[in-house]
Amino acid sequence: MTIRTDNRLLDGAPMQSLACRQCGAAVQVRKASWQQTSIQWDEDATNACLERRATGGGACGDVFLGCTALSETIAQAALDGVVTVPDDLYEHEESQ
Amino acid sequence: MHVERTDLLKGWVNVTVEVDNDEVRTIEAEAVPTRFARGWHCLGLSEKFKDGKPHTVRAFGQKLVVFQSGDGKLNVLDAYCRHMGGDLSQGTIKGNEIACPFHDWRWGGDGRCTEIPYSRRVPRRARTAAWPTLDQDGMLFLWNDPEGNPPPAEVTIPRIEGATSDGWTDWVWNETVVHTNCREVIDNVVDMAHFFYVHNSFPTFFKNVFEGHVATQYMNGTARADMTQHAKDGALKMLGNTSVASYYGPSFMIDDLTYHYEGMDVQAVLLNCHYPIDANSFVLHSGIIVERSEKFPGEAADEMARTMSKYILSGFNQDVEIWRNKTRIDNPLLCEEDGPVYQLRRWYEQFYVDVADVTPEMVERFEFELDTSRPIEAWKKEVEQNLARRAAEGQPA
Ligand code: FES
Ligand SMILES: [Fe+2]
Repeated sequence: MTIRTDNRLLDGAPMQSLACRQCGAAVQVRKASWQQTSIQWDEDATNACLERRATGGGACGDVFLGCTALSETIAQAALDGVVTVPDDLYEHEESQ
Repeated sequence: MHVERTDLLKGWVNVTVEVDNDEVRTIEAEAVPTRFARGWHCLGLSEKFKDGKPHTVRAFGQKLVVFQSGDGKLNVLDAYCRHMGGDLSQGTIKGNEIACPFHDWRWGGDGRCTEIPYSRRVPRRARTAAWPTLDQDGMLFLWNDPEGNPPPAEVTIPRIEGATSDGWTDWVWNETVVHTNCREVIDNVVDMAHFFYVHNSFPTFFKNVFEGHVATQYMNGTARADMTQHAKDGALKMLGNTSVASYYGPSFMIDDLTYHYEGMDVQAVLLNCHYPIDANSFVLHSGIIVERSEKFPGEAADEMARTMSKYILSGFNQDVEIWRNKTRIDNPLLCEEDGPVYQLRRWYEQFYVDVADVTPEMVERFEFELDTSRPIEAWKKEVEQNLARRAAEGQPA
């Protein structure tokens, strides 16, 4: 089967490169909103991640939820405008 | 800049509507694959195959025979005898071999013909297809590989501690035949919104991680006030659940599930697995065990497992009803509040190509955390409306 590209990557923001502040792992990141995050790792990045190593991530029956240092890096990059968050798609409105 | 963005976090609603809608979107779908996935597939509880009789299993577009040899081992062979095509699954177990009902040729679990009682010798190439098996935690697994390689150790099915522990119930098991290609069941891994609309649950957190041969779904949910049956006096009030569900390979999912009740948690393990009968049908299995606890000791836990099993079965039926009527779609049109369908299918593709053709993108780690703020807002509203309507109709909330 042909592997197709996510229509959201074709029509919306692309993935962007970003390096983790803690271990330097270079990953591809995308944020569709402040709360949504996609992270594409490659083999080098996976091997570089210290938290993943510490939890024995990837071992059978032991799934690694995610790296907190990388999450923080992404959150800061979003605040700094390094990773773009398409806030223009959303309109302000006081919620309950 | 900084201030503006922080300000945004306070709350917003999506009011965007795409306007350049002048072109009709076409649904695309290639033919279903004729090849079957490489990986471990669960055939069900192993107990069922240990009754001293051979069993017929239709899987991977073939007819298979499952039999327990005298040494206790469960074996899987192509059901059709290489002599003159007799059906071994209608035969008899004799010692360590399955004997064909047609002329009594004896076939061992390794696929070799060991004896022809009426002949002086067995001819050359008297060997039939045999599948490696694994009898673990009360379940029978079979390794399917179109390339014919043995199962690598690193893709083995993880042990389930509760399955062999007295502190947990026995498996409560369900099987159903579903008439569609099995990719539909895989899609559920990433499909958060359908859990609200099809299964009447209420996801509040949703994240996927794909890495190697494992695809995981993290989901937290809250109880839906418009769906919970009126709690009987003294009955525990369900608050929500936490679920970590991983596919180990193409067909076997283990879900570590915690149900949160007022003042206590209940631990369960839910299995969701399938094997293809052919390209357009599969057998869907669910299994559940519940941990016995102070609040749910002995029989109470068994009762709970049975109740949950019924609930899961009705969940299957809800999916099946959708699958029966929907079309296969290779180019789903996703909104940002959908999960990573394309990346999941990219992961799934690794099981349908030769090992040499597995590309890094199929197995490299991918994470997707969904923004549930808008779904939660919309669903809260819907729940409130349902409750208000019911109140207006004079029904209990
Ligand atoms: S066909 Fe099986 S023994 Fe002859
Ligand atoms: Fe479903």
